[in-house]
Amino acid sequence: MKSSKIFAIVLLVIVASLVGIASADFLKMRTEDTIRPSTSSCVKVGRLSDYLPSIKGTSGDTRIFFMDSKKPGATVLVLGGTHPNEAAGFMAALILVENLEIQAGRFIVIPQACQSGFTCTDPLEGCPEFYTIKTKTGERTFRAGSRVSNPLDQWPDPLVYRHFPSGQSLSGFETRNLNRSYPGRVDGCYTEKIGYAIMQLLKKENVDVAFDLHEAAPEIPIINAIVTHDKNREIGAAAIFNLEMESLTYALELSPKNFHGLSHREWGDSTSVLPFLMETCNPIQGRLRGRTDTNLLIEGNDKFYATAQKAARFRITYDAENGSPLKTRVARHIQGIKAILDGYNEAHPEKPIMYSHIPTYSELNASGIGNFLK
Amino acid sequence: MKQLFVLAIICLALQVTFSKNGAPALQFDQPVLVTSAGQSADVSLAGTLLKKMNVNHKVVNLAKENDLAGIKTLVIVPGFSSKGLGAAGISREQELERVKSIIKAAKEKNIKVVMVHLGGKARRGAQSDDLCQMAANASSYMLVVKQGDEDQLFSKIASQKKIPIKIIDRMADAVTPLKEVFGVK
Repeated sequence: MKSSKIFAIVLLVIVASLVGIASADFLKMRTEDTIRPSTSSCVKVGRLSDYLPSIKGTSGDTRIFFMDSKKPGATVLVLGGTHPNEAAGFMAALILVENLEIQAGRFIVIPQACQSGFTCTDPLEGCPEFYTIKTKTGERTFRAGSRVSNPLDQWPDPLVYRHFPSGQSLSGFETRNLNRSYPGRVDGCYTEKIGYAIMQLLKKENVDVAFDLHEAAPEIPIINAIVTHDKNREIGAAAIFNLEMESLTYALELSPKNFHGLSHREWGDSTSVLPFLMETCNPIQGRLRGRTDTNLLIEGNDKFYATAQKAARFRITYDAENGSPLKTRVARHIQGIKAILDGYNEAHPEKPIMYSHIPTYSELNASGIGNFLK
Repeated sequence: MKQLFVLAIICLALQVTFSKNGAPALQFDQPVLVTSAGQSADVSLAGTLLKKMNVNHKVVNLAKENDLAGIKTLVIVPGFSSKGLGAAGISREQELERVKSIIKAAKEKNIKVVMVHLGGKARRGAQSDDLCQMAANASSYMLVVKQGDEDQLFSKIASQKKIPIKIIDRMADAVTPLKEVFGVK
């Protein structure tokens, strides 16, 4: 009898310890990543709930950084982390927040647009929870995230997701995808509310140009690309030429009129903003990938993609020699933003955006991301 | 002496007729209609180039026979894009049919066709190649970014059909040959 009690107590202690360890690990995913905005240009840190109070205090109530010159000019919105597992989007937005100096107009930056998706990883994918970047002042660790909102915030998924207001049918999983949720609705599901709040921001802040930064697997056809709404295709074309002058190849793609819920479609249709979505090549998202760890996330080297590229049995966009490192993917996003804003300034000299102190493509590739994080 | 004079005149005429690299000094008239074959946004890139050169042109992604009224040269920019077809709201089959029709109409109206392939490898492959071949076969001049001709698809057509072709390293290099063929100074 006595030994049974002792056994029960020991078992209880072991289970409590395991629950404690698991809980700590679980809660770590709910701790916001450290962001250190540029002290000279960041005038305010807001929250998405400023545009939809009903999401206040929830995991989707993400930070918004207002970087203002306090001089007339254009308003530019940059979204990273629409899909949190596409690390280059978040990291490019982070570098903007921590480095930008603005001379005319303002930037509004949301580095973790779908913050709910940063609180978990995609089930059955074996992806890392965190990754670490070495900076001049020490190591900084960031959450790797999931493609969509955390199911703890929105569950269950319906069998079929019907987009509002178009009625377009998509897989039920897409109901938690922020980039299928626009224009969203005030009383919709959780992810639709996040989409709605971002639409309110676009309208209330009179945003002129907006960027949504993404990544895709090497086998996806729309890669190393700039997707534009039809109304800003000329600025997109000018950017492609600007980038080509710097030996960077991008494809220009038009937003399909009949594919609803995406930023480049709904932002452009419902507001006066000129929307751009950019994609880089991220092998950790691909089906052919091998070992899935932080090394793959940061270095972007995968032997199976290298083999596939050399075999040339089907089309993939992958550099078999150098892989697709995070620093290059981030550099492409930042260079893309610059090229598009050059095109915008050329087309709208009456309302320019003037800025400085963000790294060039070659600087990022030469010295790495950590050199531009505080 | 008279024979020498005639020979000199012939040489001069030949020099005027042929450009420096030996290719015929082609000239295409304006106004120009620019259309896509496959609905990639490369058509916008071609439009941007012509705009910068002040070539009298219009870009109509889904151009049809009636858009050819008053047009002297048709520029076709081939390259498949699923997003572009989605943007246009048409199927690939409808696009193939449209391209066939406009080429036929251009031939009937004696409008010269120029093919400009700017998209490199990204605008080649199974979905793009029949559109590329259709435009190349109908053209009187081809301008191709090198990456798009690695398997010599365009070079072979040019050689077989004796169509002048200019291969360029990158899109921005299209300015000089386009200026030449459209007579822009």
